[in-house]
Amino acid sequence: MATATQEFIRNLHELPHTVKDAWFRLGKAPESEREESQATFHNLFLHIHSVRVHVRTLSPTLTFGLGLMAAGTFLITVITGLLLMVYYKPSTDLAYQSIKDIHFTVYTGRFIRNIHRWAAQLMVLTVLLHMARVFFTGSYKKPREFNWLVGLGLLVMTLALSFTGYLLPWDQLAYWAITIGSNIANSPRELTDAIGVTRWMDPGGFQKRLLLGANYVGQDALIRFYVLHVFLLPLALVTLLGVHFWRIRKDGGLARPEDPMGGPAEWGGARRAVFEPIATKTYGLMALVKGKRPTVNRGPENTVMSWPHLFWAELAVFMVTVATTLVLSFYWDAPLKELANPAIPENPAKAPWYFLGIQELVSYSAFTGGLLIPVIVVVGLALIPFLDRKTGGEGTWFGTPGEGSVFRSSLLFAVLVTVGMLVFTVNFGWLRSWFPDIHQLWIIIFNPGSLLVLIFAAWSLIVLKRRDSVRLAAVSLFTCFVVGFTILTYFATVHRGPNWHFYWWPSQWPVH
Amino acid sequence: MLLGASILTIVYLVGAAVHENYGAQWSGVQHQYREILREKAKDDRGRELLAKFRIELKQVSLPALGTVDRCVTCHNGIDDPRMTDVALPHRVHPEGILDIHPVDRFGCTVCHHGQGPATTFRDAKADDAYWDYPLLPPEMTEATCATCHDAEKLPSAQVPLLLTGMRLYQEKSCGSCHKLNGRGGALGPVLDSEGAKTRHQFTMSNLQPPHTIWRWQEAHFRDPGAVMAGSQMRNPTVTRQEALALTVYMLSLWKRDVPESYLAPDKIEQKYRSLHPAPLSGEQIYGQYCAACHGNGTYSRWDKTFKRFIPAIRGVSLISTATPEYLASNIQHGRPGTQMPAWDQHAGGLLPEEITAVIKYLRADAPAAEKLPALTLAGDSTRGLALFLRNCAGCHGMDGRGGIAPEIGNPVFQKAATDEFIVRTVRSGRQGTAMPAFQSPDAPALSDQDVADVLAYVRTFGQPKREKALAQNLAPASGGKP
Repeated sequence: MATATQEFIRNLHELPHTVKDAWFRLGKAPESEREESQATFHNLFLHIHSVRVHVRTLSPTLTFGLGLMAAGTFLITVITGLLLMVYYKPSTDLAYQSIKDIHFTVYTGRFIRNIHRWAAQLMVLTVLLHMARVFFTGSYKKPREFNWLVGLGLLVMTLALSFTGYLLPWDQLAYWAITIGSNIANSPRELTDAIGVTRWMDPGGFQKRLLLGANYVGQDALIRFYVLHVFLLPLALVTLLGVHFWRIRKDGGLARPEDPMGGPAEWGGARRAVFEPIATKTYGLMALVKGKRPTVNRGPENTVMSWPHLFWAELAVFMVTVATTLVLSFYWDAPLKELANPAIPENPAKAPWYFLGIQELVSYSAFTGGLLIPVIVVVGLALIPFLDRKTGGEGTWFGTPGEGSVFRSSLLFAVLVTVGMLVFTVNFGWLRSWFPDIHQLWIIIFNPGSLLVLIFAAWSLIVLKRRDSVRLAAVSLFTCFVVGFTILTYFATVHRGPNWHFYWWPSQWPVH
Repeated sequence: MLLGASILTIVYLVGAAVHENYGAQWSGVQHQYREILREKAKDDRGRELLAKFRIELKQVSLPALGTVDRCVTCHNGIDDPRMTDVALPHRVHPEGILDIHPVDRFGCTVCHHGQGPATTFRDAKADDAYWDYPLLPPEMTEATCATCHDAEKLPSAQVPLLLTGMRLYQEKSCGSCHKLNGRGGALGPVLDSEGAKTRHQFTMSNLQPPHTIWRWQEAHFRDPGAVMAGSQMRNPTVTRQEALALTVYMLSLWKRDVPESYLAPDKIEQKYRSLHPAPLSGEQIYGQYCAACHGNGTYSRWDKTFKRFIPAIRGVSLISTATPEYLASNIQHGRPGTQMPAWDQHAGGLLPEEITAVIKYLRADAPAAEKLPALTLAGDSTRGLALFLRNCAGCHGMDGRGGIAPEIGNPVFQKAATDEFIVRTVRSGRQGTAMPAFQSPDAPALSDQDVADVLAYVRTFGQPKREKALAQNLAPASGGKP
């Protein structure tokens, strides 16, 4: 019988092993499928995944890893953001100087800030692309309607996070972009002004004051944006992200076509066993998830172990994201202009790029472009899975018959209409240029933006009628939205110069 | 893919670390400086400086001035008098200026401008970076002396350009159009904060890069229209050196908020003086605030830019006819609607005694007015209209709106000019201008009655429109109200 002292010494002696075992509970790389599944569900971070994953969902061209990239960029912004918070001071007197300090004196501060900035830009981009992927592969369909809504919420959160972060450096770029942004929030005032009720009812002014805490961009706005940017929005986003991931599991993994029923399936050159339900057995208790997947009435025939197949793929996608961000950050600095100066407006004062499409619409009519159309778009996107109820074609690009041709014709149509509209507007102006005294209400109702929405809606209705398919109508409308967003964003970024005039290239802008 | 991405990640992380550790410009500079210190460490003091020297970021942070200057990170020898024979950036600051402006109290950018927080020379110079006040070229640095000093009290060798610029400002009569310290005309921009402007407040389109403020100013003084299309500014006709001097003066015009402890006593006096200016002489006033348009005042001229007639305000006939009150009224209130601004204390900023002085100056050489028989006849404005159209409207314009001759319908003129003044001008004309005498003894073009009629008509300009129409019986005959 060993004494406690001996036991203590032996434990001390084995300390390296026991600590290692506590961390690496399996003690070795998993070899059997049993060990692989243990590796998955004994780890908090890995157990978000199912133990087995359908081979189709591993196909790179199904998802391009966009959702994971978006999550990856978010992780990067969180880490770099925490580092930046150490040095950043949210005060109008100190903010700019603290960014200069981060840039010039904080060890690798410039690099960290660049990574934060680039990851945020990539996050917006990948979230948008991820949404397009989910739409065009029909992955929002029943039973994934709710997750589509969560995803939409995440899009809004992403934009809000990026927008609130824009103000924090307190430079000219930040100040005037937020001035523009908050005036977009103020845009209902165009309508209330036009019908003359602003004195009694001023939702635009309320929104703007709620956002800024004042009537101008100042210390109140800065602290609000700071609190939103570093606390409320990340918290909300993480919560929604958890729901988003959880729903993927609960909805039976990524959307994919139904496997053929019965019979041995053949995958990867090997015949695999098929799970045959036994008539005397109830599977209801196992149906913890909606629908028939993942296992009820289905064998694991077309699945592979998550460890290592899925995890390697995910790690690869994540590392690609990190590498891309690092390369971009190494060569291109995040912008930092002069100290914010309310007396000297930037000209052109442009919102962040993802809002430039909206700013172009706002240049036609503040209310229509700044509020009405964005609300229509968001509500429209939210309604898609509830109006398009017919299942089939999930998990395949342009899965139902005719989608490809509708996509191509809608693409062509939307490009022609959007470009045509811009060419017309730039060349001939709009109602105000022809009838200088026209009532503003007419312009609010009828402007290039509202016309574009109407034409797209009409096009989609024609598709609905002609092709007799809600999904195809949705495809045409979504394609039009994507094209409109892309072209307007591009146009406002490149071709709009000082005073929002048209220029072929930014180098032609008058120099100020 | 995983392998490639991971390798790329590691490469760039290591790259960033290497760049950060060994790539910093300032660290190389400091290593060089340490070698210099080592060479020069011949006495105890030198050895002590060498021992104390650390390779690290250095800065002068001055909350009172709102500056953080890291220039000393590279300019290590800036206050070491031994560093006369070494290359920049190690060299000592020239001319012993730091003896009275120690670096730890003044920093660098309060005089030199430039981006103080920067840690590379390119960023510190900041002429193409997003920084409001890039590093001033050495010859222009004297502009910032005026922040804390009254330039006129400084040794002229230290601020030659600034003093020349100030002199030229007065000589070229810039104050005729520009306001400075509350005094000056209203045609051009106010110049009080000209030096505080950032480059985004200038139109740089017509300037070859680099687009710095001083290059804009210099080019603008050489030829205003070439830099600012449609500029109304008269070409001040200056040499290159004079343009530089004016540029330095413009850069010095900056009411920078500096704690009083930094100000030289003469600066405080200067601030006091600008609030309580000592009256200038009539000649000085004329030279600084009138001459740009009126020249020496003995001739009238047609200004092509303003499409305006500029009268000869020191012409013998005007001065011998006009009363001091008439001149005072015109100077105080200007001529609304023309380029002549009001000059009284609340507008152009001239003191009452200065206006008196300038009138005295204008009238200095005036001969006594020649005696003319008084005109007592009553005039008929309708007849006067016909005579006015035939004899006067060609130059003075229909309704006296002015053309190539002054605007006699102008309300200030109507108020200030006495009947006698108008009659005398019509009768005797204006020597040295296009205004002929209409009643010369040899060939009177107008009889006394004609003159009285013209006067009656000219006086209708001062009446409100409707009365004028009634007086001329020109009220609409039909359809109009009686």
